[in-house]
Amino acid sequence: MSTIAIDALTKRYGAVTAVDRLGFRLTPGRITGFLGPNGAGKSTTMRVLLGLARPTSGRATIDGRPYAELADPMRHIGALLDPNVFHPGRSGRTALRIVARPAGIPDDRVEQVLDLVGLADAARRRAGGYSLGMRQRLALAAALLGDPETLVLDEPAGGLDPEGVHWLRGLLRRLAAEGRTVFVSSHLLAELAQTVDDLVVISRGRLVAAGPMAELLGRTEATSLEDFFLDATAAPSTSDPVRSL
Amino acid sequence: MRTLVSAELLKLRSTRSAWIPLVVALGFAVLAVIVNTTAAGRNGNPPLSAGMLPDLLRGSGGKLVDGAVLLGWIVLSAGEFRHRTSVTTFLGEPRRLRVVSAKLVAAVLTGLAVGLAAEALSAVASGVALSAQHVPLHWGDPAVASTIVAVPLLAALHGVLGVGLGLLLRNTAAALGVALMWAFVIEGVLPAVLGEPGLTRWLLGGTADAFLGGAASTATTLSAGAALAVLTAYAAVLAVGGAAVTRGREVGTATG
Repeated sequence: MSTIAIDALTKRYGAVTAVDRLGFRLTPGRITGFLGPNGAGKSTTMRVLLGLARPTSGRATIDGRPYAELADPMRHIGALLDPNVFHPGRSGRTALRIVARPAGIPDDRVEQVLDLVGLADAARRRAGGYSLGMRQRLALAAALLGDPETLVLDEPAGGLDPEGVHWLRGLLRRLAAEGRTVFVSSHLLAELAQTVDDLVVISRGRLVAAGPMAELLGRTEATSLEDFFLDATAAPSTSDPVRSL
Repeated sequence: MRTLVSAELLKLRSTRSAWIPLVVALGFAVLAVIVNTTAAGRNGNPPLSAGMLPDLLRGSGGKLVDGAVLLGWIVLSAGEFRHRTSVTTFLGEPRRLRVVSAKLVAAVLTGLAVGLAAEALSAVASGVALSAQHVPLHWGDPAVASTIVAVPLLAALHGVLGVGLGLLLRNTAAALGVALMWAFVIEGVLPAVLGEPGLTRWLLGGTADAFLGGAASTATTLSAGAALAVLTAYAAVLAVGGAAVTRGREVGTATG
């Protein structure tokens, strides 16, 4: 099981500090919700973790190593950062085969994940003709290709219809039950409240709360995740750089 | 590396705007032979002769094949960023220089394959056209062999140029614009503006012509060997520049 650790991570873009001395660790076998207002630094944190952006300082590691140093990254981490990462002229099947090939993942697995996300019937259609929900499912299929121990998902429910959201919730639950680490960011707080075990809440790039959801909500007068989130992100952020879930 | 190259070739096969120009260029390889053999002996054109064979082969595989390979790899390389497929590409292989290397290898393979295919089609068409006019075919002519080697090699170098330019600019329209401006403005106008007609021999078009023609060095033309060296240097500069930019830049959005 992979251990994800964010240690004193800072990312600056010129004068703007997107992530500020952020620190937390993820627990295998649990679903961790990553919450924060728009621009809080969630996507940036995920991109640094996945080697798509470089940290200004601090570290983001998987089993003690940066993503770029993993020998077979797709089997460690599956990531969904954006549903619009497929060439519109390629079929869903071809798009996945292109993703699978460098990792030595066979075409059989492509068919499996297409079936898993409910796109088997649309596999021959061009991705450019897919709805947002279908592209989201295709991106999730790409994340699952390597049968990874950890999933990093940025707004995975975006564009999904209610049936799709229900399906996604069940899928994430099942993956966590298999011992995988699931790290998911979302603004759909009511949905997250039904899905996640743990929370990492950030605001203006800083950690404001981290821990088991029930414990965090129990410590406050919040009656819902939404109330907790609004209270947490309105308050000044903590200077505690590392919190372990 | 083999799986990465295989993925790059699959990208080529599944991107119409990249492979259609290659097919068109191959069609032109045959068309050029038909046009040239039909026009021979008319309107002041020299009549068909055994010595025409190397010219027919050069005419079929020249700039259109090079341009098609260049265009295809600009579309594929810059398109990674236009369509954001770079995200999945670099998630699958975070060591970006390996991805760049795979693109370069795939581009070289594409150039060699398309160049050889163009020459094969051209050879068949030339053989049929010349035989029909009872013109002897001298396949053993050294100029024939050097053309069959030079055309694929030139196309492979243009594939490298396409990858380098696409990765360097990361914008398909800008990269295509630069390529077109270079071909039609810089190559044609720069030597005249600077009053240096000899400059042409150092530019891409001039070096490609010199290499393909197998010419000896003159005041306005490099020798074939020197031309190949200059072309290789152009390709290397763009490839290294593209690799440096790809290695250093961040991928995806910057907002939280």
